[in-house]
Amino acid sequence: MKITFPHMGNIYIAAKALFDGLGVDYVIPPQNNKEVLNIGTRYSPEEICLPFKIMIGNYIQAIEQGADTVLLTGSCGPCRFGEYCELQMNLMKELGYNLNFIVLDMPKDIGIKELFKRLGKVTVTSNKSMYGKTKALKDALTVANLIDEVEAKAHYLAGYERNKGQCKRILNDCKKEAMNCSNPEEMISSLRKYKDKLKYIPVDINKNPLKIAIIGEIYTVIEPFSNFFIEDKLMDYGVSSKREMTPTWWVKNMALSPLKLNSLKIKQSSKDYLSLAIGGHARECVGEAVLAQEGGFDGAIQIFPMGCMPEIVSKSILPTISKDKDFPIMSLVVDDMTGEAGYITRVEAFIDLLERRRNNVLLGS
Amino acid sequence: MKVGIPKGLLYYKYHPFLITFFNELGAEVIVSDDTNKKILDEGVKYCVDDACMPVKIFHGHVASIIDNCELIVIPRIMQLWKNEYICPKFCGLPEMVINSIDNMPKAITDPIYATSKKKLYSWAKLAGKSLNKNNSTIKKAFNHALTAQRNHLEGIYDQGYELNIALTGHAYNIYDNYSNMNLVRKLNDLGIGVITAEFTQEHILRAEASNLYKRPFWTFTRENYGFAVNAAKEKSVDGIIYISSFNCGLDSIIIELIKNTVPSFPFLILKVDEHTGEAGINTRIEAFADMLERRASDENNISTHG
Repeated sequence: MKITFPHMGNIYIAAKALFDGLGVDYVIPPQNNKEVLNIGTRYSPEEICLPFKIMIGNYIQAIEQGADTVLLTGSCGPCRFGEYCELQMNLMKELGYNLNFIVLDMPKDIGIKELFKRLGKVTVTSNKSMYGKTKALKDALTVANLIDEVEAKAHYLAGYERNKGQCKRILNDCKKEAMNCSNPEEMISSLRKYKDKLKYIPVDINKNPLKIAIIGEIYTVIEPFSNFFIEDKLMDYGVSSKREMTPTWWVKNMALSPLKLNSLKIKQSSKDYLSLAIGGHARECVGEAVLAQEGGFDGAIQIFPMGCMPEIVSKSILPTISKDKDFPIMSLVVDDMTGEAGYITRVEAFIDLLERRRNNVLLGS
Repeated sequence: MKVGIPKGLLYYKYHPFLITFFNELGAEVIVSDDTNKKILDEGVKYCVDDACMPVKIFHGHVASIIDNCELIVIPRIMQLWKNEYICPKFCGLPEMVINSIDNMPKAITDPIYATSKKKLYSWAKLAGKSLNKNNSTIKKAFNHALTAQRNHLEGIYDQGYELNIALTGHAYNIYDNYSNMNLVRKLNDLGIGVITAEFTQEHILRAEASNLYKRPFWTFTRENYGFAVNAAKEKSVDGIIYISSFNCGLDSIIIELIKNTVPSFPFLILKVDEHTGEAGINTRIEAFADMLERRASDENNISTHG
């Protein structure tokens, strides 16, 4: 059995740690690029959202490298993501691939017994003891936490750095080196090293760069290919960016949601505008916009795939927040037809707008 | 008090309940006109541009009556059955409307969980309170409204036609004759009878849906998928027509599920949006009708892929 999984941001690093720790055979699909999207678009239903198409591309490329089992999380929320597994199973079968799916759903929907059964399938070829498996999981979570921290730090410090491009370089080196590690312990120490490295880069604390919050649909904000590497570009522009949504945030959110203790701060901030969870991460998006304004950010960029139902609701709410709080928010919609040049122009124009607001260029005009 | 009810989205399914309830409470109920060009244009103007056409039309209906009423009902339907949801846009509908249209009157936006009588009543209580009515009046109005809803039989079941099709899709696409361009009448004119999902029993829909790997978590999936698949399996109809609005997230899934389950059954997908040309729709319906006719009469092995 060779396990594979769809890409989503830096998840592949934590997945590598997990499968290395478990001693399970796995394939990491090649990094997302135009070709992946082309493959996905060719076979996917026309009107489905962008993540689905990229995932199909991932599977097919992973199969070419010998994968035969897909590990996927599910949900039974009102968003389309919950139906992905069913459609993808049918689609892959129709294309003639013999692919097993292991779908990890919330225990309240499939029962805790079924969840353990499915988890058991993942580790069936692992010869580790129960202790070893638990340790592998713990290590993977540590790795996910560390890489998220390194990313967040690099994105934020990019606005303050004295040597232009240093943060980006460290981040890229960090990811590259993590992938060359052969076991989780080595990976953790490598990530810690880079985390420390970021602490000691020369920064100009008087700089006061532009600060932008990235909000929106979880897949498109986390997966850099789907948002045209917007965070890398912001780093190049010398803009500090922050994104609340990370794989570790998702895990924490899922784990705490049965107790209703998940993301209390976001829920509290979104109360005035959207008081109910309507599926997907619409409420989180609204809450993050409010939090970003309170946190002294200059603006926020919302990104979501075309047709994303929850984010359409939040998109219609964001202009009110923008007006109430005098806080610029731009919505960007991405799909397989989005042209990069037009997209970048909008991001640049938005940054220009934020800069001018600071200098009060428009004052008195 | 004048209470406005927009004639959009699930109004087409639950209007007896809404109208009876507010009438019994002693309110003057103002229902917006049937959808027309002006309402659609207003909707397109106010609504966020990524939304689907039915949501835009709903915005248009709201905009057309806000000047005439003091209170407006924007149903925030969260759940109709236990463990099932509606489209996320329904759950956030009040926010979408209130943030997009200026000068909104007071609105009833309390969430509706219609999973049991008790839960639905808690919505009725809140709604009644905003009209300053006491509990006994609300209770009475609520019971009458429920009876009215139960006695009301929605659905189309044409008889006496040689060819019949199953018409699936959301209620607001099937019964809004402006957005579907009089689809039912057009089909009847072509000599095709129409049957809708309401005449298939609940347990059959459930049984069909339970064959899926994943329990469907949208009420619309169960209804449309169950009905279409059952009709195809039972061969009670000659074809299926799915009327869907462009960019509908649910339909993008449901249509694929139907296609996967009954791949060789005549299946026409009609996509409508605010730009759809009527001539194109006519041509497609006629071609589909021709195909069904030939399939029935002389060409048993004609390709079903159109």
